[in-house]
Amino acid sequence: MIETQQLVKWYGPTLAVDHVSFNIEPGRIVGFLGPNGAGKSTTLRILTGYLPPTSGSATVAGHNVLTAAEQARAKIGYLPESTPLYSEMRVEEYLHYRGKLLKMDRTSRKLRIDVVCERCGLSKNRRRVIGHLSRGNRQRVGIAQALLHSPPVLILDEPTAGLDPNQIREIRKLLAELRGDHTILLSTHILPEVELIADRVMIIAAGRIVADGSPQELRRNVGSGGRLLVEAKTDPGTLCDVLTSISNAQVVQTDPSGDGFSRAIVNAKTRADLRLDIGAACQHRGIILRELRHEAASLEEFFVQITAQQSQRSETDAA
Amino acid sequence: MTQTLTIARRELTSLFFSPIGYVVIGLFAIATTLIFFLWFTPDAPAGMEVSFWWVVWFMIFLLPATSMRLLSEEYRSGTIETLMTSPLSDAQVILGKWLGVMGFLLVLSVPLWIQALVIELNGSPDPGPILTGFLGLLLVGSLYLAIGAFASAATENQVNAFLITVAVISIFTFVTRFLPYAAFVKNNDFLRNTMFFANINTQFEDFNRGLIDTSNIVFFVSATIFFLFLAVMLLQSRRWR
Repeated sequence: MIETQQLVKWYGPTLAVDHVSFNIEPGRIVGFLGPNGAGKSTTLRILTGYLPPTSGSATVAGHNVLTAAEQARAKIGYLPESTPLYSEMRVEEYLHYRGKLLKMDRTSRKLRIDVVCERCGLSKNRRRVIGHLSRGNRQRVGIAQALLHSPPVLILDEPTAGLDPNQIREIRKLLAELRGDHTILLSTHILPEVELIADRVMIIAAGRIVADGSPQELRRNVGSGGRLLVEAKTDPGTLCDVLTSISNAQVVQTDPSGDGFSRAIVNAKTRADLRLDIGAACQHRGIILRELRHEAASLEEFFVQITAQQSQRSETDAA
Repeated sequence: MTQTLTIARRELTSLFFSPIGYVVIGLFAIATTLIFFLWFTPDAPAGMEVSFWWVVWFMIFLLPATSMRLLSEEYRSGTIETLMTSPLSDAQVILGKWLGVMGFLLVLSVPLWIQALVIELNGSPDPGPILTGFLGLLLVGSLYLAIGAFASAATENQVNAFLITVAVISIFTFVTRFLPYAAFVKNNDFLRNTMFFANINTQFEDFNRGLIDTSNIVFFVSATIFFLFLAVMLLQSRRWR
């Protein structure tokens, strides 16, 4: 549905997007993740035809965004970053205006405006002036506008930026409802967001795609073999001794955790499950265990790890 | 075409949602009415010639105030992004915006129509020069507003857009009107004739006298198209930055 090949974008001497290629199948929800200034918005702007790439090509719903720009744009519903709207217009009036620009006739416009207002929870605010709406409601108008012509492709640039947790949950619910009917590409830097909703996550850093896969796949890749948390009734020194005696285990840190207990974080050097070994070693020394569990790596850790690597690499490149 | 008119309509309505629209209408009405009262005396010739002559001058400052926000405001608020990712061409955007302020120009001219009616009821004016005068004003206004659209497409700062518009219009009015009296121009036939040709006031004079000359119409229409074309180029150039 969305396909890019070797997209490159230079802003003068700055390289914003560096040979980005991906292919998104119809009906998927894809999260586009990256730190600020990584090239997320630029890539989305290229896809929507707002900016041309310096080189490379992109097609949306089978139309090249450069050579068949108007056909491609007709297939896209786009919510730009920071939701620009005409603040002097009323919600309904604005949606009619958008509908006319999208070449919808009067009947389908009326019908769709009812549908999207209902869907985005705007029914009560249809007659209100956009400038008087709250941040959350403005965001809804932006999404309603993108959904208006029921486009096969939805491109949302930070749809949840600046919203409170309840509003974020509502938007997430809305996107989940749209699953299947639309191919959705959304950018964000809020990780839990993407973990919950996206089928696939692409992480972009310094203009390059550095990771691509389902949230589960990405999480699995973090660390080597996973992390263990151990809590036992002994002093930190003894615990450290016991744990280092196990081959394949690498003690990351040990701290006292009160009540005579100590807590240690252990990294497995291989993919082997160390829980049995740790249990046995503690039993052997007569140490009582209170907790022993895998610490599931969050996508956040992965994100920090991978984007830090990337920025280090670009620093060494520069040197 | 529908899309172009949609943009034009939004542009026209938005002028009535901002104080600028009313300030311009107010100033224009006051200025034209003052001139009308000064010249509407029992022994004066029945016509609008003097009013029209003045209108060409003060439209230099009034019209740029209505055109300055055309694209600058869209750039500043970011709404340009939704507009330029809609399935329509850049030329449609510019044309729609220009047509919108042209619609405003018609609203603005209402006091002049009323004055023409008063003269018609109180005297026996020759309707010819009045009608051609209105046509001339429409053409002058269309050129001013095309220059305004061009300046607004150049910057996201409305004040700059206003100043650029006034500066460019001044070249075709003040400069080419008064510079020919300077010694170095007076003695250079080519320069003097070029300046007289490029002067909007000179081009308008024939209309005010009741003449419809093709060359005058060609001047205004081609200059308007030229500036609208530049505006489209500027809008397009944003994509290539």
